[in-house]
Amino acid sequence: MASSSSSGLTFKLHPLVIVNISDHYTRVKSQTNPPPLTSTSATVNGVEHQQQAPRVYGCVIGVQRGRTVEIFNNFELLYDPSTHSLDRPFLEKKQELYKKVFPHFYILGWYSTGSDAQESDMHIHKALMDINESPLYVLLNPTINPAQKDLPVTIYESELHVIDGIPQLIFVRSSYTIETVEAERISVDHVAHLKPSDGGSAATQLAAHLTGIHSAIKMLNSRIRVLHHYLVGMQKGDIPCENSLLRQVSSLLRRLPAIESEKFQDDFLMEYNDTLLITYLAMFTNCSSTMNELVDKFNTAYDRHSRRGGRTAFI
Amino acid sequence: MDSAVAQKTWELENNILAAEAPDPSSDSIFYYDEVAQAKFLKDKPWANDPHFFKRVKISALALLKMVVHARSGGTIEVMGLMQGKTDGDAIIVMDAFALPVEGTETRVNAQADAYEYMVDYSQTNKQAGRLENVVGWYHSHPGYGCWLSGIDVSTQMLNQQFQEPFLAVVIDPTRTVSAGKVDIGAFRTYPEGYKPPDDHTSEYQTIPLNKIEDFGVHCKQYYALNITYFKSSLDSHLLDLLWNKYWVNTLSSSPLLGNGDYVAGQISDLAEKLEQAENQLIHSRIGPLGTSRKKEESQLAKITRDSSKITVEQVHGLMSQVLKNILFNSVGQPKRNEQPVSDPMIEA
Repeated sequence: MASSSSSGLTFKLHPLVIVNISDHYTRVKSQTNPPPLTSTSATVNGVEHQQQAPRVYGCVIGVQRGRTVEIFNNFELLYDPSTHSLDRPFLEKKQELYKKVFPHFYILGWYSTGSDAQESDMHIHKALMDINESPLYVLLNPTINPAQKDLPVTIYESELHVIDGIPQLIFVRSSYTIETVEAERISVDHVAHLKPSDGGSAATQLAAHLTGIHSAIKMLNSRIRVLHHYLVGMQKGDIPCENSLLRQVSSLLRRLPAIESEKFQDDFLMEYNDTLLITYLAMFTNCSSTMNELVDKFNTAYDRHSRRGGRTAFI
Repeated sequence: MDSAVAQKTWELENNILAAEAPDPSSDSIFYYDEVAQAKFLKDKPWANDPHFFKRVKISALALLKMVVHARSGGTIEVMGLMQGKTDGDAIIVMDAFALPVEGTETRVNAQADAYEYMVDYSQTNKQAGRLENVVGWYHSHPGYGCWLSGIDVSTQMLNQQFQEPFLAVVIDPTRTVSAGKVDIGAFRTYPEGYKPPDDHTSEYQTIPLNKIEDFGVHCKQYYALNITYFKSSLDSHLLDLLWNKYWVNTLSSSPLLGNGDYVAGQISDLAEKLEQAENQLIHSRIGPLGTSRKKEESQLAKITRDSSKITVEQVHGLMSQVLKNILFNSVGQPKRNEQPVSDPMIEA
């Protein structure tokens, strides 16, 4: 899947941004539609489900290195409905605050919720152009659709197109990938599956770890099956041959085996041996500790009457 | 799907309080009731009972922000504030934000530097629709566990005098990455001179040798609160969908490579502790069965527990590596069936 946009930039989105936007939206929504105050019985009142979902606005910040744009974080902004623009001094103040804590990040664009990009959005987009020549517009669709398979997040860029002889800015969809650091992945995993936070027994830890890997491998398996199915169909002639896709699949397959060199095997075996060594040491420690306890108990049970003063070192 | 059944049995066995299926009505936790909060603040039911707050509920967003911030500090301690509200005997943390102070363990009250930042941030937040007040602070202990050091205890005691209700949260980002689960603890201190009613056993964790004194001196002055997490229905929906893109990262994570330094540090620390334990054993004398002998034994037992913990984490990391090797490197065979790769997993 070629992830390129028309301007040639690749976008990477962190899950923190997605959760942040979702939280902002939920907050504003629950503040405008207060929940019923009855705590005893849940009286479902059809009146509560008001359809007007408030739109929330905010700013996304991150880093741009070369052709890669990485969106790390975001914060809320105020929207002035009278002028159809974002509150500028507020934005600047917030930017200052965030600069102090994250000095490397700068404003990459803005975000909003809704199902589609609208005309008024272009207005806001243009206003931001003096901070960043080519801002991004991240749109999150907050309607929960259980049949949905894809993330309802789209990133738009603006492009100058000549329409009817007038150069105009229009929104162009871009594709993006999800990027994460290890710690972020673990906490997202943690919250998504609500795993127990304390250790539990070694068995539960093992189970948790393996379950995670198992689900990932299942996904890999299902994707490969889809490809396989597609290729078989193409071979039979049900699906028209598409050479570019075939090329991509072939290049993917040629990437296996991932690494096949002497050095890798050596390093891998060394790491394997290191782990075995650690296990061995731990076993040693465990055994010596058990033996120590055993001897102590033995001494307690049998040597009580013959105190000789001073202990003979039995280690 | 077998995995769903397996997950349910596992959850049952471990008494996991399954999140009530997130429906829109459970999002009511996000609603900030100013009147009720003001009343609670006036009543101050915690003033009479030092053990009043027993639970902490942390939102998905707050957890994510805190862990990312803590990790970004690397080996330097970082700190920040948490915003939220109270709900009976629970403190609810809705959001967190970082403070621009580099903390070292010797700074008594790092917050003094950050007051202006805090005020500015709270003001802008209130304007942007986040109405909650600051309800606690968090900081990180990279690599040495979740507990309150002497400085932390005095800071928190001060906070609990003047800024009630206030909560202290500690996160260890290094252990989080190494163990594959979030290492976090929430604490409140007892007021000066208060003796806790019983010697409750807190969850055991290994403390490096150079910090163990600090830990031991103060560990009775505070208690840990139970942490649960919550997320909104939209959050759950998004996180579920996120998994479609995320599985790649899960499979490609290599904890062994990332944590080599930490593991080496742990092992050398363990070696020192072992030497200490050995010295104690050699120099003690046979005496009446007293506390001294018990302490040595329990020290060796502790060391054993630590060593098994390190080993388990290491083995898990190696398992991932071996799996990846099988998946992606063993392609020499003529017939590559997909079945054998996933079947052993299902049987296990």
